[in-house]
Amino acid sequence: MKFLRSIFVATLTGMVSLAVVRAADAIPDRPEKIAFPPFKYEPPKPEDYRVQLKSGPVAYVIPDRQLPLVNVTIYVRVGQYLEPAGKEGLAELTGWLLRHGGAGTNTAEQLEERVAFLGAELDASIGETEGTVSLNLLSKDTDEGLGILHDVLFEPRFQADKIALRKLQILQDMEQRNDDSSGIEGREADFLAYGENFWANHYSTSNSITSINATDSAQFHHQWFAPSNFVIAVSGDFDRDTMVAKLEQLFSQHTGPVTSWHDFPQTTPPPIPTNTVFAAPGVYLVNKPDVDQGRVSFILPGILRYNPDYYAVILMNDILGGGGFTSHIMSRVRSDEGLAYDAHSSFPGGTYYPLTFTAGFQSKSRTVSYAASIVKEEIVKMTTNVVKDTELNDAKRAFINRFPQTFATKSATANIFAHDEFMGRYARDPHFWAELRSRIEAVTTDDALRVAKKYLVPDKLVILVVGNKDDILLGYPNHPVKLSNLGNITELPLRDPMTMQPMK
Amino acid sequence: MQMTIRRWIFLPVFMAALSLFAQDVPVVEETLTNGMRILFVERHDEPAIAGGWVAHVGSSNEKTGSTGIAHLFEHMMFKGTTTIGTTDYAKDQEILDQQEKVRDEMRAEEAKMRVMLRHGEIDDLLKPENWTPHYKELQKQFQQLVDEERKVLAKNEFDRIYRSAGATGMNAWTSPDMTVYFESVPANKLELWCWMESERIYHSVRREFYSERDVVFEERRMRTDSPPTGLLEEAFNAMFWESMPYSWPTLGWPSDIPAISKKQADQFFATYYSPQNITLVIVGDFVPAQADAMVKKYFERIPRGTNAIPDVNTLEMKQPGEKRLNGEADTNPQVDIYWHTVPFGHKDSYALEILSQILSTRTGRLYKNLVLGSGVASDAFARQDSLKWAGDFNAGGEASDGHTPGEVEQGVYNEIDKLKNEDIPPEELQKVKNNFAADQYRRLDSNMSILMNLLVNDGDGDWHEINNFGPKIQAVTAADVRRVANEYFPKENRAVATFTRKTSAAPAKDKEAQ
Repeated sequence: MKFLRSIFVATLTGMVSLAVVRAADAIPDRPEKIAFPPFKYEPPKPEDYRVQLKSGPVAYVIPDRQLPLVNVTIYVRVGQYLEPAGKEGLAELTGWLLRHGGAGTNTAEQLEERVAFLGAELDASIGETEGTVSLNLLSKDTDEGLGILHDVLFEPRFQADKIALRKLQILQDMEQRNDDSSGIEGREADFLAYGENFWANHYSTSNSITSINATDSAQFHHQWFAPSNFVIAVSGDFDRDTMVAKLEQLFSQHTGPVTSWHDFPQTTPPPIPTNTVFAAPGVYLVNKPDVDQGRVSFILPGILRYNPDYYAVILMNDILGGGGFTSHIMSRVRSDEGLAYDAHSSFPGGTYYPLTFTAGFQSKSRTVSYAASIVKEEIVKMTTNVVKDTELNDAKRAFINRFPQTFATKSATANIFAHDEFMGRYARDPHFWAELRSRIEAVTTDDALRVAKKYLVPDKLVILVVGNKDDILLGYPNHPVKLSNLGNITELPLRDPMTMQPMK
Repeated sequence: MQMTIRRWIFLPVFMAALSLFAQDVPVVEETLTNGMRILFVERHDEPAIAGGWVAHVGSSNEKTGSTGIAHLFEHMMFKGTTTIGTTDYAKDQEILDQQEKVRDEMRAEEAKMRVMLRHGEIDDLLKPENWTPHYKELQKQFQQLVDEERKVLAKNEFDRIYRSAGATGMNAWTSPDMTVYFESVPANKLELWCWMESERIYHSVRREFYSERDVVFEERRMRTDSPPTGLLEEAFNAMFWESMPYSWPTLGWPSDIPAISKKQADQFFATYYSPQNITLVIVGDFVPAQADAMVKKYFERIPRGTNAIPDVNTLEMKQPGEKRLNGEADTNPQVDIYWHTVPFGHKDSYALEILSQILSTRTGRLYKNLVLGSGVASDAFARQDSLKWAGDFNAGGEASDGHTPGEVEQGVYNEIDKLKNEDIPPEELQKVKNNFAADQYRRLDSNMSILMNLLVNDGDGDWHEINNFGPKIQAVTAADVRRVANEYFPKENRAVATFTRKTSAAPAKDKEAQ
């Protein structure tokens, strides 16, 4: 037997007596009988870290000396919603090129080599509604790292051979759009939830990617990558004032027009369009004959996270299908019936436009209809039966007791605050984190029923099924449920992966 | 381009060579009287404690006929105890016994249906239309017992207790070599963790066994059957490992999962979940003396197991010739190459790790020469995978449009040949070492990350590797890399899979109006 307890030596005497006392206590038969030490927790306050830089952006700066590392993330007001028509895919391609297309005096190859040699992690990407450029590196290399960030943010080179390479890679990925049924499900669910013409459903095509050139990327970058469109999160091994001074220098030395495309004015982006269109209720079926497991999504119109019902919606959804094993959908579809590995619901609340309620699962083709009928039943039940006090209380305790984990690391804290600033939540609701637990605590079982009735309207349900049509329609002899019991079935054709047009 | 600032310039890389070593993780190890080991790491950066344990058992300890049992067992560990998960333990046990009797009859009937299958009278054991009338009758009987049991079940109570106490990240996974359970609890709930984890080892009850078996089969459909190359990859793995029990999937063969019995699971538990086969790891905000006393109080009461824990004594056969698999699927053309190398802790594993990084990453040789250079590939990768009992090296990539998997394959061989014939330049070696060194810090940034590192290293054979790996990597020389390149990459030591797109499923290209 091996006893390596060097750290424990100092307290050895205390430990032995304590152990004797404790061993005398019987172990209770239920964990509820354990008395836990008190636990007080207050979340960090954004004001303690918020710095309005003279050079424009707001930064959240949090020193953290435990490891010799520095983390920087720059959030940028840019996104897919700003892509010009016919240039779908430009945002994503531009984000990739910031990281991989060279910057400042360095070619793409030099930049890659230097970042790799420093053992640094440099990332850049542009998504639907935001761009991020981030760097994690050893603190001894901080100045060099900030120099690299400066170049990536303000002087990307969009090297021609890297644009050509990336376009080839994107076109090759595009060929695989219909290969995996989960990809088909995700895209079709979004078309049904937000409409064919909603900007987030403007997928790149072989034509749009082929048409993009270096000037497109350079203009797109130049137009939106101005310090006034940035919010910054910094944490790690540094002195706060020193870091603030370095950031001031970084963003004030943002240079003016130096090449032709810089004639384009830099502007604050327009509001994100919210013109979503929700599909007619019913069952939508995409035939993917070569898989033996069907994927199902239940979709309903959603809410914004600033909706006063948001907190009741969080708890109601947690009980229905958001709370993992203890939720109604998981409990019935998975653990009672063994019909699916994954069964869930989500009701996130949108920041810029209402995000839908979605429930889903995957089951073998022939039990798809039966499992779907259970999910629908559970959704309807939420609108007719008031949830138990104990259930609501469990959902609240889970939320409140795990809350401190939200801010587990300094890097998470800086990024949460910076992202709140970016989304406008800090301006709109500055005490959000301080008050979140009491807002959750205030929700009643009546509230849960009220929001379920209000938002989970069975007559509006859009149900998407992707899988082997023949087997799914055949059903399972032990469970005489047919897919048509859930609504009128509309068959959706697969889309051509290169054009996203429905195939005949 | 006009430059207004230039705060940094590129030094010649070899001048800036780093020689840093990450700090050690301060681990305190202890062994309880029943043989269970505990690793403590005190850390006060988060108001929480990450706790987990590794059972030194995985799919490589299985036998054919019940492959997948280690993973199914992992699922069963969430089903509760004698007091958690039921409102009436005696009644629950009574029903479970009755269920087993019906299941014994069902197994006899399943044996008959397998005869029918072998004789070609039915085509698929899972198809409801093929089940005998007696089997369907037994299913109904079983379902009645399930309905009866539900009256005394406290559904998913184990999860509910943890969740409402503020636990996060509660999960588990199974690999060929180990089964790992973990979660994070608020700093004042260490005693809850000790209660829950010791109870589920000491007093576990495997209720809802057969519906969970169906869940696992759905998991297999999701992970293996549905992804376009899932079944081909499974077949390739089975072809690569000849004698080692790594040849079957951790999820189990589809014929085995529905055949695993509760009795087999009970026997499996008795052997592999005994205290001397388990290591606990606790990382976070605790007072050492109190934590030590508490862990002893809860875990030392579990009696040492009486069964000897069998070692995996099979060695992989030396491969006498190259193996090849050509598959068609809904996927872009690609190549996947495996070589037999070395297991965890082998003295050559560090040079092979370096070699893999020389080839992979965006500044690695495969990307530079196959993606950017010849352009035969659109992406490429390489990795050394040191498992507990054996190891492999894996490289491959996707062919660019107009190129073939064969060209990518040849490109990989060309790069390995260069490593056989020429030393890596010092700056290239240093670049790779610098990345390993920085990662040695990054893995220390949260309780959960430290916990996982310790669990996996202990599961692989020695937790000390968390502190020894870094220095061993830094000690690798260019000569070491050249030596392992020559030793492990002969043609007869490799297996090659090429995947091409099914012709019927070719995507409609060039259809778009230009």
